[in-house]
Amino acid sequence: MQSKFPNRWLPLILLLPTIAVCAVFLYYPVAQSFEWSLYRAAFMGLKRIYVGFQNYVRLFTSSDYHKSLVVSLIFAAGVVVIGLSISLAIALLANRKIRGARIYRLLLIWPYALSPAVAGTIWLFLFNPTSGVLTYFTDRFFGFRLDWLTNANLALLGVIVAAVWKNLGYNIVFFLAGLQNVPGEILEAARIDGAGPWKCFWKVTFPLLSPTTFFLFIMNLIYAFFGAFGLIDVMTKGGPVNATNILIYNLYRDAFQHNKWGMASAQSVILFVLVVVLTLIQFRTTGRRVHYGA
Amino acid sequence: MKRFVLFALIALFAFGMALGQDKIKITFWHAMGGWRVPFIERMVQDFNLTHPWIEVTVEYKGSYRDTLNAALAAARAGNPPHIVHSFEVGTQMNLDSGIFVSLEELIDKYGLIVPWEDYIDAALNYYRVGGKLFCMPWNSSNPILYYNKTMLDAVGVEMPRKPTFEDIYEISKKLVEAKVAEYGITWPLHSWFFEQWMANMGVDLVNNQNGRADYATEINLLDPAAIEIMSWWKKLYDEGLWVNPGRENWSQARQIFISGQSAMLISSTSDVTRMENAAVEQGFELGTAFLPISSKYERHGVVIGGGALWVTGNHPDEELEAAATFVVWMTQVAQTIRWHQGTGYFPIRDSAVEILEKEGWFVTHPNHRTALDQLRETKLVTATQGALMGNFLEARTFIEDAIEAILAGTPIETALSEAKAKIDQGLKDYLELVGG
Repeated sequence: MQSKFPNRWLPLILLLPTIAVCAVFLYYPVAQSFEWSLYRAAFMGLKRIYVGFQNYVRLFTSSDYHKSLVVSLIFAAGVVVIGLSISLAIALLANRKIRGARIYRLLLIWPYALSPAVAGTIWLFLFNPTSGVLTYFTDRFFGFRLDWLTNANLALLGVIVAAVWKNLGYNIVFFLAGLQNVPGEILEAARIDGAGPWKCFWKVTFPLLSPTTFFLFIMNLIYAFFGAFGLIDVMTKGGPVNATNILIYNLYRDAFQHNKWGMASAQSVILFVLVVVLTLIQFRTTGRRVHYGA
Repeated sequence: MKRFVLFALIALFAFGMALGQDKIKITFWHAMGGWRVPFIERMVQDFNLTHPWIEVTVEYKGSYRDTLNAALAAARAGNPPHIVHSFEVGTQMNLDSGIFVSLEELIDKYGLIVPWEDYIDAALNYYRVGGKLFCMPWNSSNPILYYNKTMLDAVGVEMPRKPTFEDIYEISKKLVEAKVAEYGITWPLHSWFFEQWMANMGVDLVNNQNGRADYATEINLLDPAAIEIMSWWKKLYDEGLWVNPGRENWSQARQIFISGQSAMLISSTSDVTRMENAAVEQGFELGTAFLPISSKYERHGVVIGGGALWVTGNHPDEELEAAATFVVWMTQVAQTIRWHQGTGYFPIRDSAVEILEKEGWFVTHPNHRTALDQLRETKLVTATQGALMGNFLEARTFIEDAIEAILAGTPIETALSEAKAKIDQGLKDYLELVGG
């Protein structure tokens, strides 16, 4: 299926715009992050002094940063595992041939269209310590009130729930697409061979879905590590006592609130390395077992 | 003679119109969102109309932090806005960034007339560094206590005009025990209140005369006053008298008070108008009092919070002059009154207050009177002048972390000394960066 270009320069010329955009908006800033991570800088870089690896040393020896790393890992695990399981379950239900299926699907995708700020605000209302709907229900039916966002453990759970909800639509779309690509004849064959719905799912559908699951795993991981800071900012601002201070939020705070550009650059380098490593491990292990094409 | 003056004016106006092509163009970035955006645009329009040779373009740039970051980035690219609206805690950073020029110097250089003696000292003092005024205080506010008088009447207590920590505790307890309100009091979990209490009790937040004699190198978080404040706060929280509306969550705090779940609220004076309207809607009587402080300390008053207008350097003379003219115009008596009535921020000039007084403004709005009296009774000491710290924003984060830790059960001294260590390190780093 390989097609040939008439000469060797044409493909390069066609790629040039993409490369140029990437260079300006990706490679150059990345290179700059590496450079700045060796400086102590303030005022958007108007003033800076060279400090070598001091930023890294401080980060690696800071108990706050260690805590932030642990919080991030819990947050990412929560978002990926809970998010993918719920999305898959919902996608299976939405994939059934029932009346109004299209409307259900549309409604399920809706949360994804909201901006993180709006999603955060909605959950802020639900978790409101005095008049939130969730607070009201726990008070009404169980007789207690929870300080959802001001109690350290609950706050982390709260932001995970919000982050999962926010990304449900995205995951469901891909799972639905994946499910609809599962060939009916294989399922039929399995059924004729006497496999029940449970077995059909685990032995046929789930393996055939593995490229989608794998893709979503990576995307959710990236979302949990990089994309969730808007929600955190609206809901908890990293608190209480840094219980929801994930790495990306800590970075955002240092750069844009604390004016510590060198420190923030060092953190972005660490985060970059971390995600590269996680993705490589993922490709090496699970990636091999992914079935492409049916 | 009169006709001549009229003729001259018309000629001048026509001349101005003719010059329209060569208007001096300056830009103004501010950080006030919501309904204030059109309000400010309207003020700028009026300036442009009355100053036909100048054209000010105004832009809302998001939060104070975003505005400052955008201005710094623009300055780095060689094209900064002429006027930048910045907050009080950014003062030291702004000074050290090197992109701003002293407003007082500009005013002297271009011979603009500003009756400084008419401005309220407490407002100017914050921005006077090394004897020089760097920027024009614009939206000035500080914290006061709001209370639901209807609820207080129900338990038969009266709020003193200058309440103490002990008063607040007693009143809260009565209200909650009588089940009149679910909570006694609330305020956002924000470092600002802590800073205000320190100042009000006469304690400098940082050393070197609150960072005004020289760069600060240490924060006074282990001062007995700090421990006093946190013990009181913790006690209120532990006994269910104060409810935590969340970190820096102003709107949540207001909503808890307005909906009657708490009987008292400490918030900014810029909320007065909003609170008055809300009280009418909700059908309760609103009262205001001074910021409560510990009875063991003498009352020193409040630090002026809010924002100021800064002028950036590196522009041609005519543009700098136009920028200074605009900034001065924004605090003319007429604009000050309009600003106060429209937004609730302080009228920062004595003559503006006099006019408001004559118009009976304070009779119909007694709560604005409380706020203004509190400001005018402020003693001019370094504590109330406000702290200067290059890493103020980071310090706030650490102070808020400490407050959360204390509420969650960490011993007060432990949490405060941890925060102090981090902030002191930040002060040291900052000094190495800008001064070392």
